[in-house]
Amino acid sequence: MQKEIEITGLNKSFGQGASAFHALSGIDLSIGSGEFFTLLGPSGCGKTTLLRIIAGFEEPSTGVLKINGKEVTGLGPSKRPINTVFQSYALFPHMSVADNIGFGLKMLGKPKSEIKSTVAEMLQLVRMEAMADRLPSEISGGQQQRVALARALAPRPRVLLLDEPLSALDLKLRKEMQSELKRLQAETGITFVFVTHDQEEALTMSDRIAVMSAGEILQLGPPQEIYNAPVNRFVADFIGDTNFLILRVKEIGNGEAVLELPGGRQASARLPESISPPVGSRVTAVIRPEQAEPTAAGQGEMQAVVEAATFFGTDTHLHLLLDDAQGFVLRRQNRPDQPSPAPGTRLGLSFAPGALRVLED
Amino acid sequence: MRGHGWKWLLCTPALIVLLLAASGPLLIVAVYSFLSPGNMGGVSWEFTLEAWFRVFFRRDIFEPDLVEWNTAHLQVFWRSIWLSLQTTFICAFLGFPTAWFIATRPRLTRTIWLFLITIPFWTNLLIRTFAIQEMIRNNGTINAVLMWTGLIDSPIQMMFTEFAVLLGMAYVFLPLMVLPLYAAMEKMDFSLVEAGYDLYASRLNVLWHVILPQVKPGFIAGSILVFIPAIGAYVTPRILGGGRTMMLGNLIALQFGQGRNWPLGAALALLMLVVVVGALIFYLRVVGRNDEVRRG
Repeated sequence: MQKEIEITGLNKSFGQGASAFHALSGIDLSIGSGEFFTLLGPSGCGKTTLLRIIAGFEEPSTGVLKINGKEVTGLGPSKRPINTVFQSYALFPHMSVADNIGFGLKMLGKPKSEIKSTVAEMLQLVRMEAMADRLPSEISGGQQQRVALARALAPRPRVLLLDEPLSALDLKLRKEMQSELKRLQAETGITFVFVTHDQEEALTMSDRIAVMSAGEILQLGPPQEIYNAPVNRFVADFIGDTNFLILRVKEIGNGEAVLELPGGRQASARLPESISPPVGSRVTAVIRPEQAEPTAAGQGEMQAVVEAATFFGTDTHLHLLLDDAQGFVLRRQNRPDQPSPAPGTRLGLSFAPGALRVLED
Repeated sequence: MRGHGWKWLLCTPALIVLLLAASGPLLIVAVYSFLSPGNMGGVSWEFTLEAWFRVFFRRDIFEPDLVEWNTAHLQVFWRSIWLSLQTTFICAFLGFPTAWFIATRPRLTRTIWLFLITIPFWTNLLIRTFAIQEMIRNNGTINAVLMWTGLIDSPIQMMFTEFAVLLGMAYVFLPLMVLPLYAAMEKMDFSLVEAGYDLYASRLNVLWHVILPQVKPGFIAGSILVFIPAIGAYVTPRILGGGRTMMLGNLIALQFGQGRNWPLGAALALLMLVVVVGALIFYLRVVGRNDEVRRG
């Protein structure tokens, strides 16, 4: 895959000396051409700072940033083939929808006829043809969002940056815009760099995700890999729901650890390459709530008592208490022929090989 | 009304003051402009249009039927408008970067800068104006320094020129431009500026297409706040301008003082009011036009 953005050894700190705040440290990253790339992390993790550095609004303290093979460090935002969709949309309030969309092309000095045809094309792309003459204040939030997208796409940038663009929309509209964004990316073939704190949004839309925390990239990979094989406790906790179990190591070998489960049975779990816990020590292991299944009491790998059941429509979350008093949440698809067990019911838990993983803390 | 009808009572004290200090006197001025001047100042109660006639025209001393334009009055009118316009432009030009500087400081230090802006108001205008005189008179500070360094041989005449009046007025009215400009900038969404740069705009284009349209209300308010008191300015042109650069305020004061022609002073004052209101309406029409086109 051709590299569109290459970041090497990038650091960013605000302030100086002892009071300096290290917003980003040691970022190495390359983003492929035409990729939908997501920077995911809690607020304050540095994802927006990284986006602003790519856009050119901030300069890195150290490190190199290349776009399409050319170093752009030191170039202002107006000199980079990159456009941004701002969190607040930042539509020019005194300009009509059409003038907003045409602004970038006008600043690039494109002829009037070209601006006009591109604006018409963009209006069609985001399905806003009827609103061309409205002011931003005269259209809804979702429509403003589309205009902001069209405005950023109109100059046909190499890269489109999106700074939490869906966070101001209500749930239904957000779902709609998610598929809209995927469609636009597929149609235009432009590289999208998307910033969000919403893990579900990241999982559903991205080709690859970089999970960030405290100015560092903790894990980088496709959504399935991030979800199924989180590298550490933070990633496992941040992405989706997870059951953390403290278990004793019985045996080590072949990149796997045999762990003692509550109730005395044993199961083997994948061991990350970075750690090799001694036999007899306790480690953190995880199982995703949907990767375990209830069985009849006495069967399965572990035994548990139902404490509570929470109904979520498509599924029910069973809050269980394991034999050694550790909590466990089980997610169970709702089916009319299988009522959820009442609190106090004893049941067994089984899980597929590979569902249990040991994590670095 | 739903029981809120009595709330208008809250503004009655202010209304009474307004009635006593503004509407009442204005009415009296209007009536005076149609009376004859008294011998020792004041008015005598005979109706005449002579005062209004003399605002615009002048009778020959020997042949009262020979009438010509009163160019002296018209000159003062024109000078007042022209100097006030220039003052407004200077204040806008100097006030914009100042307001921008303050608006882009961290929130905490902004208060300090705003506070500094208001410091000149603590000293009496008269004293500040005499201080300017100290700076610019022929043997004042500026000329002394320039002659000492050898840059000039003889002092530059600055006092009693339009330059002196402009300097004084720009100084006095600058805060009145800075404050509304700052208020407009503070409300501005600065991500708009970033969006401008992001969409390939140069600094000048960002200023012109993004920032200026956003702070336009500040410019409008600032211009009105500067232009109106400037056109009636009295102290500054009196001290720094002297008799040669008389402005409307001075001309009116002259009629009520040494001139002993109260009706003429009253007529001039009313005409000034008309000019100001007319200028205001014209200005708002011109400035507001774009918005109306957009809305239409």
